[in-house]
Amino acid sequence: MVRNIITVIFCSIGAFWFLLGTTGLLRMPDIFSRLHPSTKCDTLGACSVMVGVAVYSGSLWDILKLILIMCFLLLSSATCGHAIGRSAVRRDIAPWRKSEEEEQ
Amino acid sequence: MDRGFVFRRKLLLFAVLFLFWIVLTATLAANDIVLGAISSALVAGITMLLFGQALDDRFTPRVLLKLPWFILRLIWEIIKANIDVAKIILNPKLPVDPRIVQYRTYLPDDLPRTFFADSITLTPGTVTVDIEDNLLSVHCLCPYHEEGLAGLESLVAWLFGVKPDD
Repeated sequence: MVRNIITVIFCSIGAFWFLLGTTGLLRMPDIFSRLHPSTKCDTLGACSVMVGVAVYSGSLWDILKLILIMCFLLLSSATCGHAIGRSAVRRDIAPWRKSEEEEQ
Repeated sequence: MDRGFVFRRKLLLFAVLFLFWIVLTATLAANDIVLGAISSALVAGITMLLFGQALDDRFTPRVLLKLPWFILRLIWEIIKANIDVAKIILNPKLPVDPRIVQYRTYLPDDLPRTFFADSITLTPGTVTVDIEDNLLSVHCLCPYHEEGLAGLESLVAWLFGVKPDD
C-alpha cells in the first residue's frame, strides 16, 4: 500500500515534468531556447517515473536495470540536444536576443 | 605498449562487460555466469586485437569507482537546474535573455570533454552547441547561468583526476 502511494507520487511528479517540458517547448522563442526544456525537463521526468517503477517493482535486478536505463538516458538526451544545437550553429541560425524584440 | 598494460586494459573491459551481463541476465546461476565470463573474455580479447585499445585510455578503475558519486552529484545539479528552468517556463513574462558564450576549458582529451559537454547540457539553463578543441560554445538561457560552468568543470576534473594547470 505504502509502496503504491510512493509509486503514484513519483510517476505524477514525472508526468508534471513532462508537462512543463512541453509547455516550455511551446513558449520559448527560438530553437536554442527550446532545447533547454526539452533536454532537461524530459530527462528528469523520465528519471522520476523510473524511480517510481523501481519502488513498485522492489526487485534488485529490476532496480539495477532501471539504473542502467537512467544512465543511458542521461547520456542520450544530452547528446541529442547537443546534436540539434550543433546543426543549428552550423547553419548559422542566429540566436534570439531580447533587445531585438524591443526595437521592433 | 607493454604486456602488463594491455592485460590490465583487457581485464577492465572484461569486468565492465561481465557486470553488464550479470545485470541484464538477472540470475546468478552457474551456467549463466560461466557463459557470461566466456563471452566477455572473448569480446575483450577481440576488441584489443581490432582496435588496439580497450575503452578510452582515460577510463581507469579509479574513474569507474568515482562514477556513481559523480552521477549522484550530477542528478542533484539536474534537479536544481530543472526547478530553475521550471520557474522561468511558468513565469508569464518568460524572463529569458539567451546568448551564446564561449568557454575555454582546461580539460584534456575527448572523454573528459565529452563528459563536461554532456553535463553542461543537463544543468542550469545551459546547452553545449558546439566544441572545437578546447573551446566550447554554450547557449545560456539567462546570463547568470554562465556562472555554474566553472563548478561543473571542476567536478569533471575531479572525476578524471585532472589538475587545472595540466
